Amino acid sequence: MMRGLRDRLDTFWGRGAAAVTVPSMDGALRPNNLLDQAPVPLSIPEPDNLVDCAGEILFSSAGVVFALAGDAAAGRPVPKYQFDQPIACLAAHESGVLAVGVSGEIALRGGARDGKSFKQVGGAPLLCPTALAFDGPDALIVCLGSTANPPQEWKRDLMQRNASGSVWRIDLATGSATRLADGLGYPNGVLLVGRDLRISEAWRHRVLLVKPGAAPAALLEHLPGYPARMTASADGGSWLCVFAPRRQMVEFVLREKAYRERMMREVHPDHWMAPALRSGRSFLEPIQGGAVKHLGISKPWAPTRSYGLVIRLDVSGSPVVSAHSRADGVRHGVTSCLEFGDRLLVASKGGGVIASLELAELDTEL
Amino acid sequence: MINSDTIAKWRYRLVPDHIIGEILTKEWIDTAIPVLMLLVSVLTFSALLPHFLSWNGVVELLRQMGELTFVTLGMAVVIMAGGIDLSAGSVFALANFTTLGLVNYLQWPLAVALPLVVLICAACGLINGLLVGYLRLRAFLTTLAMLIILRALVDWLLFNWGTVVVANTIESDVWDFLSFGTVLGIPFNYLSALVAAVALHIFLTRMRPGWHIRAVGGSRRSAHNAGIDVRRTVCFTYVLSGVLTGVAGILYAARLDNAGTEAGVGLEVVALTAAVLGGNSLGGGRGSIPKAALGAFIVALFTNSLLRFSLPSGANPLAIGMILLIAVATDVRWLKNRNKLLSRIYVSPTYFAPPPLVSTDPAAGTPYAINNKLQEAEPIGLDQVDGAEDIAFDRDDNLYAGSRHGDIIRFMAPDYKKVEIFAHIGGQPLGLHFDREDSLFACVSGMGLYKITRDRQNIRLSDETNRTLFSIIDDSRMRFADDMDFAPDGRVFFSEATIRYDIFDWATDSIEGRGNGRIICWNPHTNTSRTVLSKRMFPNGICMTGDDVSLFFAETWAGRISRYWFDGPRKGRVECVIPDMPGYPDNIRRASDGNFWVAMLGMRTPALDVAMKMPGFRRRMAQRVAFEEWIYPNINTGGVVKFDIDGKIIESLWDASGEKHPMITSIREHKGYLYLAGVYNNRIGRYKIPGADLEFNDRHLYWGRPQ
Repeated sequence: MMRGLRDRLDTFWGRGAAAVTVPSMDGALRPNNLLDQAPVPLSIPEPDNLVDCAGEILFSSAGVVFALAGDAAAGRPVPKYQFDQPIACLAAHESGVLAVGVSGEIALRGGARDGKSFKQVGGAPLLCPTALAFDGPDALIVCLGSTANPPQEWKRDLMQRNASGSVWRIDLATGSATRLADGLGYPNGVLLVGRDLRISEAWRHRVLLVKPGAAPAALLEHLPGYPARMTASADGGSWLCVFAPRRQMVEFVLREKAYRERMMREVHPDHWMAPALRSGRSFLEPIQGGAVKHLGISKPWAPTRSYGLVIRLDVSGSPVVSAHSRADGVRHGVTSCLEFGDRLLVASKGGGVIASLELAELDTEL
Repeated sequence: MINSDTIAKWRYRLVPDHIIGEILTKEWIDTAIPVLMLLVSVLTFSALLPHFLSWNGVVELLRQMGELTFVTLGMAVVIMAGGIDLSAGSVFALANFTTLGLVNYLQWPLAVALPLVVLICAACGLINGLLVGYLRLRAFLTTLAMLIILRALVDWLLFNWGTVVVANTIESDVWDFLSFGTVLGIPFNYLSALVAAVALHIFLTRMRPGWHIRAVGGSRRSAHNAGIDVRRTVCFTYVLSGVLTGVAGILYAARLDNAGTEAGVGLEVVALTAAVLGGNSLGGGRGSIPKAALGAFIVALFTNSLLRFSLPSGANPLAIGMILLIAVATDVRWLKNRNKLLSRIYVSPTYFAPPPLVSTDPAAGTPYAINNKLQEAEPIGLDQVDGAEDIAFDRDDNLYAGSRHGDIIRFMAPDYKKVEIFAHIGGQPLGLHFDREDSLFACVSGMGLYKITRDRQNIRLSDETNRTLFSIIDDSRMRFADDMDFAPDGRVFFSEATIRYDIFDWATDSIEGRGNGRIICWNPHTNTSRTVLSKRMFPNGICMTGDDVSLFFAETWAGRISRYWFDGPRKGRVECVIPDMPGYPDNIRRASDGNFWVAMLGMRTPALDVAMKMPGFRRRMAQRVAFEEWIYPNINTGGVVKFDIDGKIIESLWDASGEKHPMITSIREHKGYLYLAGVYNNRIGRYKIPGADLEFNDRHLYWGRPQ
């Protein structure tokens, strides 16, 4: 009862769980324009989930898996696999096996199990696969973002304040699945570091560490955005993509049930006061006071619902340095990245480009 | 949903929240707490005590209150100057003794004795004043020391002459009148306290030395820098306190004829309690004489009423101590939080149901179909304009626009490359129009309606209108004159967009969704202004329809354009002609084909439209979310719409990308071109209207073609 009373009081005063504060981008997250300055080898609608499949760089765009031609420097992408639905996530094993997640199915391409697919996990349909990772050649770690919404409806899932995500380990030989974690707020990225599993939990703005046989614990908390996928780095660290920024106004909307429900009912999702992969394309999108143009200029520090951010984490999982595309930039909605030699390929799903960032550029920000 | 909307609508119609915020901006709100306390205590005591409110009871109460009121007034003046006078109790006792000694024992005439007593007390005050004011000793310790010294003096005097001063009494009508006289049923001593209070109030609020006292209390350093003699002012307050305490002592002596040692003991604390309780801030600078009198009234009421409960001894000082604690705590917390509270609740949204959103999608086939025609507009004054809300042309085709710096700038015809400052006004000019003599009329934010003649003289035409009956904030001053137009007889109708916000936070008005604006008419024949339409939602553009009896006005945040008849058989009527614009209409201007142009400064967004129906959501947003993060009308994309006299939309022009003309606040068609201005834009645009009249000048519609 005391807890209920305290929650009521918090809601009234706007503090505690009802506070709408958002961590600032400072320290390792100090803003720069690196993503907007990086060269763009490829423009394509909604590129996502870059993976290295036995030396070949693959990514998805809508329902097609493409291969980046040659050395990824330039050229037209080559379509490799076609699916009926938008592809939600990819994972590759060094043996050349590709796992493709779409809403309702995880399919394997290449290797010994080519063509095999899984439609259920733990007896429930695979509604919302968001991230995949191979655990050896015979097992796949699967992040299911939600039990209520498919991956394209992630915005609705956030606005419904769901926490129905789970993480599974599927034995590719038998098809049996073990649940590694559940009750998560949209797990949206997975990375195996030794035997430890790192999971980015988008709606709770954190990265979880799941050790075998232990309860999940926070590795990295209070991110200023919603994390997406993670990939390993050659130096033993890793990369964390952040696909949208947190905003005080959105945090406030998340605490206003009546408004949220009415907005979801009456307004097109593109025009919600909610995080987005891209923004400013239509005047029907809401804007915020600080985003008003003065003398024809959008301020880089204006409040924005979309943003581009890639964070480099060290071996222990702490942020070291980051690359940004700010409010006045266009490389927003970064959902995945991949280290490739001395460059980092960054898929800006919102901006519709794959950018190629020189790692040496990042070091100048240190 | 309709249900909850109806509830919200009536809730906000019946309970006008913004009034609370407006009341908090008032100075007199500081008195609200003591007045409330007075009411509560009167009600409580009259319920508990029999005959509490009987006439005799009240008269007896007032008689005892007179002396305390005098002392409290003195204390309040000292506090207002930032000091404190703890010696009041002893000065009071000294006055009592010397009065009795001079009048009873020495039998001096009252006309000599009483002024002498006042002088002695003034001298005690002067010692305080010299020590605190000129030698700058701590007021608290200095007056505490004076309290002890004077008390010792009085005790010594009483020890030696205590019995002789009361041994005989004199026969004098004046003396009796001082003690028991009444005027119109009110005891003389309380009446004299009231007279003193009125005089002091006039002195403090209407006279230069009185202003100095509060200025010193507010900030010694600023007062000094402003040229006020801080030391003399501080010294003076102590002398004044001494005088007032002296008068109180005389009244006490006349009333009780008692040379006991208890006279004035603890009086300084009671007076201090009364002064602070009334709302005089201990920090100085804030307070007033009525507050002090009110405080004295409450304290006297309390102590007298408690006496009648026959409580054990010590109850009375205990009560006084408690009241002082409460008063001081309230004072500190109130001062600290008033402005915080005000800034939290000033923005007070109300229910507004926006009209259905008309589609601008080219596929939908509405007249608002979006296009990119305004991208063709060529720039004028690129990166030279800042705050050009409106544009006007003189008879030589030079282009005039306002600026954020309070200037009117002029681009010289024909190529508009050369720019100069035409006039400096001081406030940001918004709507601009030339009259028959080629004088420029300007609505200036924060200032009102102005006229700039051809030889660059600034003439103020109107900055004041009639105050609304029962309005809490004074709305007679103009805060936001926005756009104007001329009636055929020379009257000027102009809009004041909002009476609650200034130019720098004009868009905040959109969050409220209330009709905060009005339309005012200035009459040149009488040189007076009157509000003709009030409670409009950000009335902005004004444009004569051309029939000499009516005008169009745009209500920006409501997305509608209405027609108002100011003359003729339909005089006074308002009719909405366009109820549902997809954007926020701004200035309206005449087109060469007989129709009207209207600028849209921004576009409505569905997410904000939903919020407009939920005032509670917007109120919490205004309180919790940082200002820059608030959901806002989308004023990053604007457009121009042409409509006919019946409100039918004919065409629309857009800069869909928002690169060149993100917002459009005004347009003016001139000689085949449409000129575009936006208050936040970095340019003025010039768009060639296909097939338009190359001779068109909208001034000719008003003043005829020059010969």
